[in-house]
Amino acid sequence: MKIFPSLLCLIIGATTTVSYAQKSESPLDSLKQQIQLLQQQVNDLKKGISASDMAKTAAAPSAPSAVDQKSVRDLEERIEELTEKVNSISGAQKQSKPNEFNPSIGLVGELVTSYRTQGKVETGSDRPGGIDINARSVELNVAASVDPFAKGYAVINASADPVTGEATMGIEEAALQTNSLPWNLELKAGRFFGEFGRLGYIHDHELPFVNRPLVLDEYIGGESRSDGFQINWLIPLPQYVSLSAGAGDGFGGDIPPSNPGDIRQFDELNYWGRLSTYFDLTPDWQAEMGVSGLYNPRTEDRGGVLVQPDGSTLTEKKRRLVGADFSLKWVPLRNNQFQSLTWGTEALYSDNVYRDSVSAGSIMGEDSVGAWGVYSYLTYKFSREWSAGFLYEWVQNNLNAHDQTAQYSPYITWALSHWNQLRLQYTHTESNHVLGLSNDDAVYMQWSWIIGSHSHGWQQR
Amino acid sequence: MKNAIRLLTTICLVVAALFGAALPVQAKVRVVTTLTDLADFTREVGKDLVDVRSLATGVEDTHGVPMKPSFVPVLNRADLVVLVGFDCEHAFLPALLEASKNPRIQVGHQGYVDCARNIVPVDVPKTTDHSGGDVHPYGNPHYMLDPVLAETAVKEICEALVAFDPKDRAVFERNRDTYLAELDTKIVAWREKMKPLKGLQFVSYHEHWPYFADRFGLRYVGTIELKPGIDPTPRHIEELISMMKADHVPLVVREPQFPEKVPRLIAEKAGAKLVTLPIMPGGVAQTDTYIEMMDYIVSTMVDAVGK
Repeated sequence: MKIFPSLLCLIIGATTTVSYAQKSESPLDSLKQQIQLLQQQVNDLKKGISASDMAKTAAAPSAPSAVDQKSVRDLEERIEELTEKVNSISGAQKQSKPNEFNPSIGLVGELVTSYRTQGKVETGSDRPGGIDINARSVELNVAASVDPFAKGYAVINASADPVTGEATMGIEEAALQTNSLPWNLELKAGRFFGEFGRLGYIHDHELPFVNRPLVLDEYIGGESRSDGFQINWLIPLPQYVSLSAGAGDGFGGDIPPSNPGDIRQFDELNYWGRLSTYFDLTPDWQAEMGVSGLYNPRTEDRGGVLVQPDGSTLTEKKRRLVGADFSLKWVPLRNNQFQSLTWGTEALYSDNVYRDSVSAGSIMGEDSVGAWGVYSYLTYKFSREWSAGFLYEWVQNNLNAHDQTAQYSPYITWALSHWNQLRLQYTHTESNHVLGLSNDDAVYMQWSWIIGSHSHGWQQR
Repeated sequence: MKNAIRLLTTICLVVAALFGAALPVQAKVRVVTTLTDLADFTREVGKDLVDVRSLATGVEDTHGVPMKPSFVPVLNRADLVVLVGFDCEHAFLPALLEASKNPRIQVGHQGYVDCARNIVPVDVPKTTDHSGGDVHPYGNPHYMLDPVLAETAVKEICEALVAFDPKDRAVFERNRDTYLAELDTKIVAWREKMKPLKGLQFVSYHEHWPYFADRFGLRYVGTIELKPGIDPTPRHIEELISMMKADHVPLVVREPQFPEKVPRLIAEKAGAKLVTLPIMPGGVAQTDTYIEMMDYIVSTMVDAVGK
């Protein structure tokens, strides 16, 4: 029965080893040490049992103590368990080792299938009417720390050409973002989506509905892409107040930058800014609001001459855009993964200055066109997988404010997981026909998916 | 000109007043914790020397604390951020830390206190492919439900406070030892109370309970979720019910942030009892501290299954 003091010592020893190891060593080292210690002590115990059995056999023939044998078996099982743990942890470490200096990589794919009642001439879209199957984009996202002072990221996009169907690749974003500047400052440089409005700098597949709001397409030119610099300042107040300002060559993914000509001046760049704040109305209700502005003092020849339906032509001379956005959210703390409500609204006012470069029967000169646009949506999430909403849009053409379009889009989303989502949307478009466009009805089915690394970014909150 | 100078002076005074309000006036260590159990531990160790704020209130899912912009100024001024680790907070903390623009609390810096540093994880996945759902590549992060491993977190917090404020080492260490002694006493009592439940089989909604089951000798046999973060399919529910019937699993645990409908259905069909158990302090009423929460969990389980 000498075995029991040994067992007691063993258990105490093992426990002490665990607690000591947790203080000073890595979990893996600690486990390895435990295994070695246990194995050594099992061997000692086995020897002890054999010796004890031999002695007992010599004294009185009887079977080895069942209790002793059971103790050894228990210890062996414990060793097996620990070995399994070590192997699983070493396995996990091995998996991460080769990737240590590589960026995290994720791939996002999106297929939009639609049926529209009008053709592209009647809708002014770059996609055909009738049935249209459009692999709208495939995005490769890579991100990693550059050094202790900054991180870098890139979004490489491939999308199908609407005419040829061929995939064309482009750099959607590739920027450096500091993380160590003093005074709550952060600098971004490269190609990136500048901070303007609420959804302007959100990628298509992250929108709460299928298509980018008309007003953002019309006034910004799609996503708020720019090649430039942007500085963000978290104002040191107890209240969240964020101020961003940027300067860049071009602003808007679908709009070319100003014609550089021979020498580009500072007044040919785009300048933008955004001020936003946030309030906790109750623990479950949140309100966020912001104002944004964009100014390009001299946009001569940006996008070339714009031919009007009446034959006259316009050249944009100044680009001026302001916007205000507001979102109200109900995010119940307890079950926010299963229920939430978001109401988001954004209004933009475009006041570009144009020059009538060629005028057929109209007055030559410069004029500004004041045009409004707004979108407002309400999304209700009613289970972890399902949400539904309604989007209303109204926009005046920023070349001709008499040309107005409204859209009504109910949508329903089925998110099988974070990485696999289907959305069905119906959109009714009403045009006042000034530019010859027609009313249209469309049904969209969007299927988007993500593989690889997937981060929950601040902008997607 | 005089008016202009007056206006400028007024603006400067207003700005100075605004900024002055934001400047720290207290000498306390400003600690932000992700979850309420960590806040409770930090208060126990730091007492009057710390100013603690938890991002979670206790009712949220540990992986689903909403990313509120109001957290950003709080994190911006924090000296330490204390987290569970093992990617438990991956859905909200990395983005909040980036938005906080506080270099002191970024990963790898002294103010980033990962309590999992010395924990041996269970259920480390062999692959991190999403076919396994929302897998945690470093292993199951819910070790705080094992009170012995929770003690490791208490020690980590104490170490971090001492490293930040060495002059108060003696106070922090004394508070830590007092609290650990209290926890040790409770652990003995909880074990004693749970003894009759040794070998008890149970299922839960999310995989929160492997460490708890290991500690108290229970058998954790399945989850209602198909995979972590993935809702159950009808087939999975049927299979779970069949397994529970065949193996006579008597208990279904529902964490309060998950809907009750499916767990209730499973419990009814499998002839099991349904209990709602918090996963952090504040998850249900009268569980404001870690000890109160564990008391509640142990009592509820024992009462549900009987002696």
